[in-house]
Amino acid sequence: MNAAIQIAVDAMSLGGLYALTALGIGLIFSVMRLANFAHAELVTCAAYALFALSGQPLVMAFSGAIVVAVALAVVTERIAFRPLRRADPTTMMIASFTVSMLIQKLLVFTLGSRPKSLDPVPMLSQAVSIGPTQVSLLKLVTIAVCAVLLLALTLFLKRTSFGLQMRAAAENFTMAQLTGVRANAVIVVAFALSGGLAAVVALLFAAQSGFVQPRLGVPLMITAFVATVIGGMGSLPGAVIGGLLVGVVTTLLQAYLPPDLRPFREAFLFALVILALLVRPNGLFPARGLKERI
Amino acid sequence: MTALLAIEGLAVSYGRISALRGVSLQVDSGEIVAIVGPNGAGKSTLLSCIAGLVRPAAGVIRFRGDAIAGQPLERTVRRGIALVPEGRHVFAGLTVLENLRLGATIRTDRARVASEIDAYMDLFPILADRRHAPAGTLSGGEQQMLVIARGLLSNPALLMLDEPSLGLAPRITDQVYDLIESVRARGVTVLLVEQNADRALRSADRTYVLNTGAVRLSGASGDLRGRPDFEAAYFGLDLVGGQA
Amino acid sequence: MMRDLILRAAPLLALVALIVAISLLAGMADTVTTRRVILCLVNVVCVVGLYIFMGNSGVLNFSSVGFMAIGAYVAALLTMPAGPKGMFLPDLPVWLAATELPALAGPFLGALFCAIVALAVGLPIMRLSGIAAAIATFSLMFICYIVLGNWTSMTGGQISLMGLKSYVGLWTACAFAVGAVAVAFAYQETRWALALRASREDAVAARASGIRVARLRLGAFVLGAAVCGAGGALYGHFQGTLRVESFYLDPTFLLVTMLVVGGMRSLTGAVVGCLAISLLTEVLRLVEVGIPLPGTGAVVMVAPGFGDVVLAALMLLILLFRPNGITGGREILGNLAGSGHRHDQV
Repeated sequence: MNAAIQIAVDAMSLGGLYALTALGIGLIFSVMRLANFAHAELVTCAAYALFALSGQPLVMAFSGAIVVAVALAVVTERIAFRPLRRADPTTMMIASFTVSMLIQKLLVFTLGSRPKSLDPVPMLSQAVSIGPTQVSLLKLVTIAVCAVLLLALTLFLKRTSFGLQMRAAAENFTMAQLTGVRANAVIVVAFALSGGLAAVVALLFAAQSGFVQPRLGVPLMITAFVATVIGGMGSLPGAVIGGLLVGVVTTLLQAYLPPDLRPFREAFLFALVILALLVRPNGLFPARGLKERI
Repeated sequence: MTALLAIEGLAVSYGRISALRGVSLQVDSGEIVAIVGPNGAGKSTLLSCIAGLVRPAAGVIRFRGDAIAGQPLERTVRRGIALVPEGRHVFAGLTVLENLRLGATIRTDRARVASEIDAYMDLFPILADRRHAPAGTLSGGEQQMLVIARGLLSNPALLMLDEPSLGLAPRITDQVYDLIESVRARGVTVLLVEQNADRALRSADRTYVLNTGAVRLSGASGDLRGRPDFEAAYFGLDLVGGQA
Repeated sequence: MMRDLILRAAPLLALVALIVAISLLAGMADTVTTRRVILCLVNVVCVVGLYIFMGNSGVLNFSSVGFMAIGAYVAALLTMPAGPKGMFLPDLPVWLAATELPALAGPFLGALFCAIVALAVGLPIMRLSGIAAAIATFSLMFICYIVLGNWTSMTGGQISLMGLKSYVGLWTACAFAVGAVAVAFAYQETRWALALRASREDAVAARASGIRVARLRLGAFVLGAAVCGAGGALYGHFQGTLRVESFYLDPTFLLVTMLVVGGMRSLTGAVVGCLAISLLTEVLRLVEVGIPLPGTGAVVMVAPGFGDVVLAALMLLILLFRPNGITGGREILGNLAGSGHRHDQV
């Protein structure tokens, strides 16, 4: 019982982080078919902003992180991805690698590669009791924040006129433009939202790991990217469920693999990924109207 | 009076293949104009060009006197041109109601839009019954009605329809054309493209026959129907004689 | 007849001449430069291996570094002298601990082993296309990394494996680079490769006309994996030490970027992309050290780490201004053979 609660909390908080990251990647992919590997650097740079503003009130620091991540997302779109909008998706993907590399190398060059420690929300680093079980408050808050954000994003997409335009653009970009949806507006808003999500992820992730370094976001982005593909590239519910699923599977592997196999945990995870793709190549929730273009 | 839409010397090519050559035509306000021709004649290319989907290699397209060729896609509908493309492109994953609302993306008079949507629902009760169902679950004829209604919700001056009867049963086709004629009665100009020349000629005021990328014949629909050279132009038989 | 054959092989001859010329030049340079050129030639082998699959099938492939790693470790385990082997890997099975094959067997056996592994894992994976294939091959690379990095008895795990025979000099590397280019060229002239390229342009039409896409992809995948395996073996025996970290994300992205920057649809693109990025890297490294400007006494010099920034920026600029790569997917001298029937440019 004790262990079960612990594992459930671990799984949901990890899965929630993956889901938010996957959503950030999925939003961009759904409107412009770009698999944006530079999403990792949105998280990393937001975390550096939190580091730079540590000591300030949380609201200040977090606002700073959001501004940095959103600005970076919008700037990369303008400089690197807009000119390639009509290019081969492979080229766009590789361009996002190089953007990712460029920002990483810039961070190493200007701030050094050594990890810097930070604790953006110290009041969360305590445990609370659920019955007899001690659970990290931070993890509970992570779960709550993820749930609220998912709800808010769903409402935005389902209930607002701009959300409707984004969903239409995700399904058929050209037709959406013919009904008057402004391409640049939709894409810029998608990037801005993905930057905002990255800032939240940075806050929660940095609070858990306690440090920031130039490659902070990379493992997170890779796992989340895998999650979006398993969920169904271009499908936002798919990205969320894929993220949660990967979080749950990772936690379960960690908990239940025999100790001498535990170092191979991620190998099992990725073997499961390949298996899932073989069974459902378009993911668990294939996006409608998504033509295979990559 | 000046034409609503005037096209002069339009040429389009895809790589080495020339799809349209020297096409000139004119659509006046309040008309229904049909462009007929066999598969591959260049009809869809012509509409795509007017809508901004395809950039012409040469020629001028004027709408209300302004040159519009090669402009951003999302500006087309803001100028007052709505395209109902071939193949009934509903947003299959969005509901019927959401599809209709998208039609009014550029409008700000929300109350008017809501009442117009209600009017379309009254006109096509099936759309009202299925308003919260994904549009992809409608039948072909229902989707065609939905797409036309969506196009009209932008309050266009010019409605362009690409093969509105393609794949529809004759009875449904008649419904679609009834709708087109009632649209014109409300002052919307219609430019439509059809392979089904008979059906188009019956509703259109004027007709252009397009074949292998050029206008072969044009005139009032009633005159064309009786002309002996109509079939020859439609099927490109005149080309056999060496005329190009 | 003979003339046709030569014209058809013109791109191959040009690329071989380019590689040999670079090797000749490097032979006259100082040791540091020579070592850089050797590394570049080893990279040519790997990028060409990547091209064999990715270029002909049009399917993204992130697994080549995984096969490099497999090739490197297989070659090391089979050719290492018993002394260092016993010291670093005390828990090896007895037969493997006792095996010490001639050094040159390494790349070939590494390639063979990679081919077998690629056949086994490719059989299911080659049914995938597009982004699913990209993620599946990425997962493969990841699995290789995790398994090799934690299989302590076989690979030493996180500890570097030292004492590999370092026999890979300029001319060995040159010979293998030429060999890889020749293999890739010979392959792309086959009707299988032609059919595979047809499927790249339109998979549905290719399937409809009876082309078995998955099977053709598998062939290219196995051949490409073998070439990468040989490249990995050369890499290990050039460095003399092996670390699993050398076969992870950075080289994965670097190889793919080299291919895309060069132009992923031609063999020339693979070679040119590799050479161009290696050259850029080298120039930027020199600038970090400081280049004296002749006649002025001034020294051009930038802070360490800045070279990496510029390299990434330049790669991005190349993609922005030449989205189809430097070569645009064309072969060098590829139009000599007339109709251009071989390499379908788009």
